[in-house]
Amino acid sequence: MSYLQWSDDLSTGIAVIDSQHKRIIHYINQLEDARSLNEPELVYEVLIHLTDYTLSHFAFEESLMEDAGYVGAEIHAKTHDSFKEKIKSYAERHKGGEDVTEELSKLLNVWLIEHIASDDASYAPAVLNSIPGINSDKKKGWLTSKLHTFFS
Amino acid sequence: MAHIQWTDDLNTDIEVIDKQHKRIVNYINSLEDVKGQNNRAVEEQVLNELVDYTLSHFAFEESLMEDAGYGFINGHKRVHQLFVKRVSGFLQRFKLGEDITEELLTVLKAWLINHIKSDDNDYAEIVRKNLGDMHEKKGDGWLSKSVKKFFG
Repeated sequence: MSYLQWSDDLSTGIAVIDSQHKRIIHYINQLEDARSLNEPELVYEVLIHLTDYTLSHFAFEESLMEDAGYVGAEIHAKTHDSFKEKIKSYAERHKGGEDVTEELSKLLNVWLIEHIASDDASYAPAVLNSIPGINSDKKKGWLTSKLHTFFS
Repeated sequence: MAHIQWTDDLNTDIEVIDKQHKRIVNYINSLEDVKGQNNRAVEEQVLNELVDYTLSHFAFEESLMEDAGYGFINGHKRVHQLFVKRVSGFLQRFKLGEDITEELLTVLKAWLINHIKSDDNDYAEIVRKNLGDMHEKKGDGWLSKSVKKFFG
């Protein structure tokens, strides 16, 4: 069985956020297990953890964006709300006896690419700049790469 | 559902915090034990003790983060506040006679494991260092005085 691995491309440069994001990779892999081992109980477990993720991780992230004065914070929060509703819907459908494994797995994969790799990457510089002393190596690296983009 | 087993990856290597986390795990496991006994008075007692202890733990943890100058304290506090809100919702339903213990246990277990591994793990280094510095400055006894302030 081949599991999805965390890639540095997904890193925001904020260790605690990356740690929270890695949970999505874990859930994608757990769903793969659920599918190949035919274990709906695993799907239930993923849905429980995803529900927690949508509440805890999103609250944490939104707090960071607000503190940083990130201009896209409101729109970002709306994307979170939409994902929360989708997870709620999958949880209800699973409770009703439906097999949502495939659809849920697709949703998480898309979320990884569209939201984590893109939307979350967008707020990272504002947050990194707003919190004194954190990830200072990453801040330097980010700035160097930005300079290269515009001035090489 | 099984008890939570303490594993190495739940250690923050801050003795006072790990001790409190283990106590919360014990409360959750106690709730698991009383769940099937059909004794609401006992369930209510364990629930109240769990909530009271967790609130004190949050306040203590936040004071350690504040003293250490942990950059993501606001995000972390927001996650604590949201957790308190969620559990309060369950307590209200319990008081109205609903059987919520199974559902609450599922939420508690998922939340605690994810929160300790990601969020608490992130403050560990800076808090550990600050506690070491404080111990050097203030000597023995000051930490236990601080714990008493929150736990009585």
